[in-house]
Amino acid sequence: MSTTISRAGMRMFSVSHKTALVVDHCPYMAESCRQLIECDMLTKSRSQGVIPLAPVSKCLWTCAIECSMEYCRIVYDVYPTKKLVNYIVSDSEVHILNSWKQEDQNTQQLMTALAAVGPPNPRQDPECCSVLHGLVAAVESLCKITEYQHESRTTLMDTADRVANRGRIICLTNAKSDTHVRMLEECVLETIQEQNKRAAGSDRLMPIQQCELVLVHIYPQGEETLVSDRQKKALSSVLSSEVHSVRAGRYLACKLNVLVQQHFDLASTTITNIPMKPTLNICEQEEQHANTSANYDVELLHHRDAHMEFIKSGDLHMAGSTSRDSGLKETVTLKWCTPRTNSVELHYCTGAYRISPVDVNSRPSSCLTNFLLNGRSVLLEQPRKSGSKVISHMLSSHGGEIFLHVLNSTRSTLEDPPSISEGCGGRVTDYRITDFGEFMRENRLTPFPESMVDAACRTPVERAKSQLERHTRYWPMIISQTTIFNMQAVVPLANLIVKDTLTDEDVLTCQKTVYNLVDMERKSDPLPISTVGSRGKGPKRDEQYRIMWNELETLVKAHVGTSERHQRVLDCISACRSKPPEEEERKKRGRKREDKEDKTEKNGKDTEEKGWTADSERLKGVMEREKDEQSECEIIKDSPDSPEPLNKKPRLATEEQQPPEKSKGPVSLLTLWTNRITQANSRKHQEFAGRLSSVNNKAELYQHLKEENGMDVHENGKATR
Amino acid sequence: MPTVVLMDSSLSMTRPVSVEGSEEFQRKNLAVHGLTMLFEHMATNYRLEFTSLVAFSSLWELMVPFSRDYNTLQEALNNLEDFDKTCLEAALQGVSNVVQQEWGTSCPCQVILVTDGALGIGRGSLRHSLQTVKQRVEDKKFPLPFPFPSKLYVMCIANAEELQATDSMDNLEQLINLNGGEGQIYTMEGPLCLKSVQSMFGKLIDQAYSPFHAVLRCGNLTSDVQVFPRPEPVTIDEEVDPIPKTVQTEGDEIGTGATDDTEEETSTNQMAGKSPNFCVLLHGSLKVEGMVALVQLGPDWLGMLYSQADSKKKSNLMMSLFEPGSEPLPWLGRMSQLGPASDAAENPYGEDDSKSPFPIQPKNKRSYAQNVTVWIKASGLQTDVQKILRNARKLPEKTQTFYKELNRLRKAALAFGFWELLKSVAELLERECTLLPDSAHPDAAFQLSHAAQQLKLASSGDSKYAAYEHNITPMLTDFSGGGGADRI
Repeated sequence: MSTTISRAGMRMFSVSHKTALVVDHCPYMAESCRQLIECDMLTKSRSQGVIPLAPVSKCLWTCAIECSMEYCRIVYDVYPTKKLVNYIVSDSEVHILNSWKQEDQNTQQLMTALAAVGPPNPRQDPECCSVLHGLVAAVESLCKITEYQHESRTTLMDTADRVANRGRIICLTNAKSDTHVRMLEECVLETIQEQNKRAAGSDRLMPIQQCELVLVHIYPQGEETLVSDRQKKALSSVLSSEVHSVRAGRYLACKLNVLVQQHFDLASTTITNIPMKPTLNICEQEEQHANTSANYDVELLHHRDAHMEFIKSGDLHMAGSTSRDSGLKETVTLKWCTPRTNSVELHYCTGAYRISPVDVNSRPSSCLTNFLLNGRSVLLEQPRKSGSKVISHMLSSHGGEIFLHVLNSTRSTLEDPPSISEGCGGRVTDYRITDFGEFMRENRLTPFPESMVDAACRTPVERAKSQLERHTRYWPMIISQTTIFNMQAVVPLANLIVKDTLTDEDVLTCQKTVYNLVDMERKSDPLPISTVGSRGKGPKRDEQYRIMWNELETLVKAHVGTSERHQRVLDCISACRSKPPEEEERKKRGRKREDKEDKTEKNGKDTEEKGWTADSERLKGVMEREKDEQSECEIIKDSPDSPEPLNKKPRLATEEQQPPEKSKGPVSLLTLWTNRITQANSRKHQEFAGRLSSVNNKAELYQHLKEENGMDVHENGKATR
Repeated sequence: MPTVVLMDSSLSMTRPVSVEGSEEFQRKNLAVHGLTMLFEHMATNYRLEFTSLVAFSSLWELMVPFSRDYNTLQEALNNLEDFDKTCLEAALQGVSNVVQQEWGTSCPCQVILVTDGALGIGRGSLRHSLQTVKQRVEDKKFPLPFPFPSKLYVMCIANAEELQATDSMDNLEQLINLNGGEGQIYTMEGPLCLKSVQSMFGKLIDQAYSPFHAVLRCGNLTSDVQVFPRPEPVTIDEEVDPIPKTVQTEGDEIGTGATDDTEEETSTNQMAGKSPNFCVLLHGSLKVEGMVALVQLGPDWLGMLYSQADSKKKSNLMMSLFEPGSEPLPWLGRMSQLGPASDAAENPYGEDDSKSPFPIQPKNKRSYAQNVTVWIKASGLQTDVQKILRNARKLPEKTQTFYKELNRLRKAALAFGFWELLKSVAELLERECTLLPDSAHPDAAFQLSHAAQQLKLASSGDSKYAAYEHNITPMLTDFSGGGGADRI
């Protein structure tokens, strides 16, 4: 199914990777476009006796800037990266307003730079001004390598020549004649040849392999054009050129809108039937028309792949209607479906494409985009021949960007999947689902800044994988496979031992955990030993503890190679755990059992030895360790010492601090909660030294005095006798 | 991916093949034998895939619509009747329609054409179709290439020599070329017998129907998995990186993130036993926690695992593949920069899970999120001027908004080199000043003439006043008691 994402023929370094925009800043561009705009809109009540101001009109330069900025705005909206624009202004010299750098690719920076350039000076000597300077600079600029080209070349190394250098020059100018246009083309052609020679010998430059020149001749309204349109034609193997002769003002805006769609594989979708009633609250700005509940249309541009289904099925002409504004281009009309709920539904989505509104600051557009940026989604319905309702797209925003999502509107091959319970392991019922949920939360990912590398130069994702490896060295999947993970008392140690580094304090906490367990054993507290698969009463108390200690050792052994402090935890366990001392045990048990016991212990030692292996051994793989663990588990389960097991549910957890009557039964919700809170709180402060070394929450006071004096001392200094 | 079996039921398929032994076989019997083998393979290893059966001669008929019921398919295959001549073009058109109606045009399909290689004569023959392929009008185009991503496998119940003796082989090769080279022709080796037909279909199974087995790994926890539908290799950039990326069979789960979005396509995982399985554990926890797990499929290629429920009762582990690349979902940032949350100085999810580090906001806001100024339409400019005037009439209460709108207009006019507008708006403000009613706050007149003067200065292009970053600030007046100046 991955074919849905295979866009055969996709090329990162196509002509649209680099666009050089050259805008003519010569004195003749200061000429008015002769389209008048009335900006003195007098309201009826105040119009008496006031003479309206004369309407304003833009100059050719203003028209060119506005439309080219609109071109850039759309490119940056739909392609925030990898499609670069280099903005060049030309008069008696060249003003390069930005570079190919990604950080320079935004409209704010261009606006600032344009303000510094200002409108053309009509009194400047026309003889020394020319758009030619800009065209030459554009060719030079196309030879400059972008950071993406550089990155690709460095990663490809010996096949670096696969990285192509193509580009497009869009020149907005006012040409004198067709001959003048030929002259501009000739100039670009010659410059490319020159620059390519230069570039061949440089590291930071690349020869241009393909260049599209788009010359847009702008002339004022009411004038006859002196330049004729010409379709794209090849001037050389490298350069192709096309000429558009356009009247300034909205005609130019339409032309550039069509061009940006062609150049960047865009398509247009018109969302129709958008309700803008105050009740729907999608448009709070709607002041004047608050009482009208008209439905509005908003046109959006996006990558044309979002229409792939229409294009291929031939529904495009059916669904589409001609855009009202341009009259030139096609748009697909989709109907707004008022969202019923706010609930987040998962849709079967086959692609998401960034959008840019055509008329960005019109009221309907800004209402729609604000609605989406506030986290709502809108389903879009496709008009069908049959009149049936088909939801084909969805608009929704992620992190401040709006995406047009393509939804699968036909049958899915994924329908009616089998239940996971029908598969392998599906019949097992005691998975540690909650524990693994906790595990997942502990292993959640978060973005790190690019500069953040750890001492071992690992990327964050490598650190995440290594954390997963550590956390899963010993992780039984089902409740009946484990004792220690069912015991609240083990939690502090289990949480710490998986860490990459332990502090002395951590080691102390681990040791404390072990002491608690020793204390529990001394008091013969019951353990939550699984009785699954066994009949009868289950193992005796001392056997239960043996199983528990073995498992705890397995857990700690898996981490013993991490650091010397991890080793100290194991040492503590080995020192403290109830020895399975042959002598005592044998005395207690009948002589008949002796041989069997011996055998078990031997096996146990074998695995122990394996478990002790150093780092390199540990890396040998999971399989071996799993085997080890398995054999160890088997030993525990098959231990011939085990008395007839009882048919009881495993006890969930016992806590040393619990009141004795509670420790006999399963843990109550209150206890769980209290423990959780206590644990969370304990992280926030340093534990009292006394409590740390306490037994049963009782700490002996003034121990040092005992040590110093070698005898019990009372508070008032009177020695007791 | 779904399969369409296109079975030739023309009379030529009933030609007997000479087989040693007593039983006499027709080519059709060999074809049925081969397909039976394929169906059996699919029923065992690919039971979640949909297959349909189309029979054709001069006409075509959908015998079995897309189904996972291989018994029905087998039965229909066994009961195929014999018809007249071969007319492939119409049949391929039929297949195209059947697939599009069921799955649309984005779902990839495999088409298996089973024929004896006698491709018809005269009108309607493949030869005729191919000769006229370039002279078609828009609505009578040759059905290839199919509008959906496809592979066309031609299973010839004939050997290569036989096909090369006529132009059948050439025509079939042309057919594959017309499908963009997507597909393959299989012929029988040696005598036409059950054994060679088995071997031919065996090759097809190996090529196109091998099950996708993989290991899902989360640290030391692992599980063998099979993936339906099989993930196919992807070419990202034919120029820079022409080798198709394939999904590695070692899936590395790299951690979990709490996003709720599905992108790209999906495939289902399904496993077959009784010992504890990591997939079941993972699925259960993902479902309970409402989380998704990221899974690495190869270098720079990730996907996600999550619990998907089709009905209320049945749910399974699903894997969605992201587009290969370092940043498939922009709101998650660069995937290699995702690290363990426990490494962060402060828990990015908050102590009580109330926060999330996602979505990541882009460095630059999109145009629709930053209140850009566009005056391409006269109405855009008029609205902005009206906004200023509206606020001007409510001075000094609206001093702040007035200057905010004024500065917005000023900036845009300077960038667009539209100095004439600055002069014009300055005049408008001056006129407003003269039209102020007697009841107006004295501050209003001061602010209006101050603003007008500043705009005029900016329109002179004098670098001192026309700097883009410069903002016109309200005039400090003696009336500032209740005036706007204080509020700035």
